[in-house]
Amino acid sequence: MKSVLATLALTTALTLPGLAMARPVTLTTQLKNYGGDGAYLAVYVTDPQGAYAGSLWMAGRKSKYYKHLTDWYRFTGGDTAQINGITGASVGAGRSLKISLDLADALFDAGYTLHIDAAVEDRRDSPNEISVPLTSDGAGTAVKGRGYIANFTYDM
Amino acid sequence: MKKTLTLLAASTALSATFGLPAWSGPSAPLYGIPLDAVSAGADTSNTPSLMFVSDDDDEGRGWLRWLGDDDDDDDDDECEDDDEDEDEDEEDRRKNKYDDDDDDDDDDCSGSIDTPAPAGTVAPPQNGLFGTGTPPQVQVN
Repeated sequence: MKSVLATLALTTALTLPGLAMARPVTLTTQLKNYGGDGAYLAVYVTDPQGAYAGSLWMAGRKSKYYKHLTDWYRFTGGDTAQINGITGASVGAGRSLKISLDLADALFDAGYTLHIDAAVEDRRDSPNEISVPLTSDGAGTAVKGRGYIANFTYDM
Repeated sequence: MKKTLTLLAASTALSATFGLPAWSGPSAPLYGIPLDAVSAGADTSNTPSLMFVSDDDDEGRGWLRWLGDDDDDDDDDECEDDDEDEDEDEEDRRKNKYDDDDDDDDDDCSGSIDTPAPAGTVAPPQNGLFGTGTPPQVQVN
């Protein structure tokens, strides 16, 4: 009985810091009514040195089109292992994509930047359409896109 | 026990060495009867029926076939992105490059190595960004 309690205490002690080191974040991307087909969007993060840190979401399943998400592709070489388990459908014009996830606490106020590359059929590719530093103060502030994205917000 | 295993291994090796090459020579007379005679409908009452089993034109590929030498030329690899398909691909790109979310699944290459695993089927990548490793929840309005 004692050993069970000890194990329980230990696992709890190990788990709690992990939970405390993540914070729930909602990323909302509102697309413009650009009148074209669904947009491919790559959501990824760069570190304070501007190096690729990892991907958060890929909207669009066909890997042969990922090269049009030019900055993401430059960072990753189109490596689909980067987006396994975080890939969904492309997003139609005028629609809004809401992603809820637990982000590591260490990403905030530490010089990390969230980027979104966008691409639409028969239209210009739009790399780095959104580029927003991950800060506590920046949460809830809408950032305008340059091409297909009307605005982007992250909420905590 | 060791002796038995050694004998077994030796007999297997001998069978493989002598038996399989003989097996692979369909043009050679079997049991002293030429194949031509068999296929011409000659009296084969004394011939083992195994000789009639296959008229498959194996072209003497022999026993390698049994070891997985499956060189069928009619493999239809739908996931292949051949060069010949480039033009078609280009056209496809013009027409369907970015499918909307309704028909995103029309690619038959779901098992392809280049296709990422959809959300919910595997855990997110261990890139240090996902605090708890919980998969993202997505909603499109």
